Amino acid sequence: MSELTLLVLRLGFLALLWAFVFAVVYALRTDLFGQRVRKVVATPPGGIPVSPAPPVAAATAAPTGPVTAARPSVAPSSGKGELATSENARAIVVTSGAKAGAEFPLGRDEITIGRSSDSAIVIRDDYTSTHHARLMLWNNGWMLQDLDSTNGTFLDGHRVTVPTPVALGSSVKVGATTFELRR
Amino acid sequence: MANDTAVRSAPPTAPVGRIRLPQKLRNLELGLLIFACVINGASIVLVQLGALGHLDLTLVSLFATLSILVFGLHITLRFVARDSDPFLLPVATVLNGLGIAMIYRIDIADKQYGWDSAAVRQIAWASIAILCAIGVLVIIRNHRTLFRYTYVSGFVAIVLLLLPLVPGLGRQVSGARVWIGFGSFATFQPGEIAKIALAVFFAGYLVRNRDSLSMVGTTFLGMRFPRARDLGPLLIVWALSMSVIVFQRDLGTALLYFGLFLVMLYVATGRLSWVLLGLAMFLGGAFVASRTLDYVNGRITNWLDAFNPAVYNADGGSYQLVQGLFGLAHGGLIGTGWGQGRPDLTPVPQSDYIIASLGEELGLAGLFAILALYILYISRGFRVGFAGQDDFGKLLGVGLSFVIALQCFIVIGGVTRVIPLTGLTTPFLAAGGSSLVANWIITALLLRISDTVRNQPRLVVES
Repeated sequence: MSELTLLVLRLGFLALLWAFVFAVVYALRTDLFGQRVRKVVATPPGGIPVSPAPPVAAATAAPTGPVTAARPSVAPSSGKGELATSENARAIVVTSGAKAGAEFPLGRDEITIGRSSDSAIVIRDDYTSTHHARLMLWNNGWMLQDLDSTNGTFLDGHRVTVPTPVALGSSVKVGATTFELRR
Repeated sequence: MANDTAVRSAPPTAPVGRIRLPQKLRNLELGLLIFACVINGASIVLVQLGALGHLDLTLVSLFATLSILVFGLHITLRFVARDSDPFLLPVATVLNGLGIAMIYRIDIADKQYGWDSAAVRQIAWASIAILCAIGVLVIIRNHRTLFRYTYVSGFVAIVLLLLPLVPGLGRQVSGARVWIGFGSFATFQPGEIAKIALAVFFAGYLVRNRDSLSMVGTTFLGMRFPRARDLGPLLIVWALSMSVIVFQRDLGTALLYFGLFLVMLYVATGRLSWVLLGLAMFLGGAFVASRTLDYVNGRITNWLDAFNPAVYNADGGSYQLVQGLFGLAHGGLIGTGWGQGRPDLTPVPQSDYIIASLGEELGLAGLFAILALYILYISRGFRVGFAGQDDFGKLLGVGLSFVIALQCFIVIGGVTRVIPLTGLTTPFLAAGGSSLVANWIITALLLRISDTVRNQPRLVVES
C-alpha cells in the first residue's frame, strides 16, 4: 500500500461517513420543517393560472364565509356556551376549509394540530405552522393552547395567547381551517 | 407519513380510515441500512489494509454475520412495527460497526486473535444484543404494557443493582464492584439493564402522580414542595439506587441516574425549580465528595492540573487522560487513517478511551461525524417525546434518549477534559457486552414507541 492510496482511502472514508450523516439529515428534512406546501393554483374562467395573490384572498374569505353560514344550524344542537369536558365532547368537526364536514373522534389523548406529519390533525396550508396548536385535557376540561405559531390560533375570533378552555360549538381557527368540539 | 394519501382521497364525511400503503418508511430504512453496512465493511477493510497490509477474510465474514442480524431486525420491523422511526436502526448500526472496527484495530496492535480478542467478543455480544432487541420488539407489542409493570420494574432495578454485592456472584474490576460473573468468562454489568428498568419506573410513577406532585404541597421559600407521600416512593427508589452505586464506587453511573431522575421529573412537572434544586444538590454533593473521598479528589486534580509532571507521573494520575489528548492531537483535522495511528499507547483504548482512539485515526472530521450521528439518534428519541400523544410513552422516550445523551456527554466530556473523567461506556462504540445489550434494547423500545406514535388516528386537511 502506497502512502497515496492510503491517503485517498482515508479521505474517501471520511467522505463516506459524512455522506451518511447528510443522507439521514436529507431524509428527515420533511420531519424537521414540515411537508412542502403545494400552492393551490386557482384557475379563473379565463384559463390563466394565477399565482400567489388569489390564495391569500381565498384564505381570508374562507373562514368568514362558511362558518357564519354554518353556525346558526349548529348552535341549537351543540349546546353552545357549555365548556367542553372529556364527558360531553365526543368529536371534532371541521366546519370550513378543504375538509369541511370531516369528523375526528375525541378520546382522552391530547390532540396536536400542525403541518408536521406526526400531528393528530395535519393541516397543510400556507398559514399553519409545523406545530401550531394543541388541545389537551386539563382537570377534565379541554384546553386550547397555541404553540407559538406564526399566524396564531383563534377561538371565536380572539387570538389565543394563553391556554384557554374551549366551549362546545365555539369555532377554533387554525390557518384556513375552522373546527369545533361537539357532543 | 405513509397513510396521508389514504385519508386525503376519502370523501370529506367518510370516517378516517387507514389503508396499508407500500412501506415507505421501511424502504427508506433499508436504503440507509445498506449504506450503513457499506460504511462498516469499508472500515474493517481499511483497518486491515492500514494495520496488516493485507486482507484477512475470517473477520470480514464474522462481520458479515452481524450485518445479516441487523437486516433480520429490519425484517422484524417490517412485520411488527411498520411505522417505526427509519433512522434509529441505521445510525445505531454505523456506531456499533465503527466501534467494532476500532476494537479490532487495537487487537491487531496488541497482537490478540481468535476468541481472546476483544473484537470477536464484541461481535458476539452485538449479535446477542440485536437478538435481544428483536425479542423486545416481538414481545412488547405496545409500550403501554410496560406501564402496568411500573412498580415491578422499580423493584427489578434495585435487585439488579444489588446483584454485584452478592458474595460469590459479584466481581470487583479496577476498584468498582459492578460486575457479576458466572465462572471465569461471562461477566455482566447488571447496572446497565437497571437504567432501563429505572426509566420505566420513573415514567410510570410520574405519569400516575404528576398532578399531585406539581400541584399539591406546601410552599416554602417561594418554592412548592410536594407531600412526602407523593414523593416518597420516588425518593426511596432513587436513594437506594444512589447509595448502592456509591457503595460500589461507581460515580459515573450515579451521575447518570441522578441526571435521568432530574430530567424526567422536569419533563413531567415542567418546574424549573426542581432542576435548580437538583443541580444545587449535585454540586454540593460533588464538593463534599471531592473534599472527603480520596479518589474523587484525585479525579478533579487530574482534570484541573493534567499537564503538571507530578500529576502526570503519579500513580492513578493523569497519564491516561493526557495520552488520550496526545492521541487526539496526533490525529489532527483528518486523522492518521485507520490502522496508522498509535491508539494502543493509551491505557484501555478500546473501552473508556475509544473516542480518543477514533479521534486519532479519523481526526476531528471523523469525530464530529460520530457526534452528529449521536445527535441524530438522540433527536429522534426526543422527537418521540415531542410528537407522542400518551404521557407514558413521551416520558419513557425522553428518559431513554436522555440517558444516551448524558452518557455521551459524561464520557466524551471526560476524555476531552471538559469535565472530570468518570468511568462510563460510550454508547454503542465501547467494548462491553452489557452496555451494548442495554443500548440495543433502548433502540428497540424507541422503535416501538415511535411506531405507536405514528399509528394514532389522524385527520389530514390538505388545501
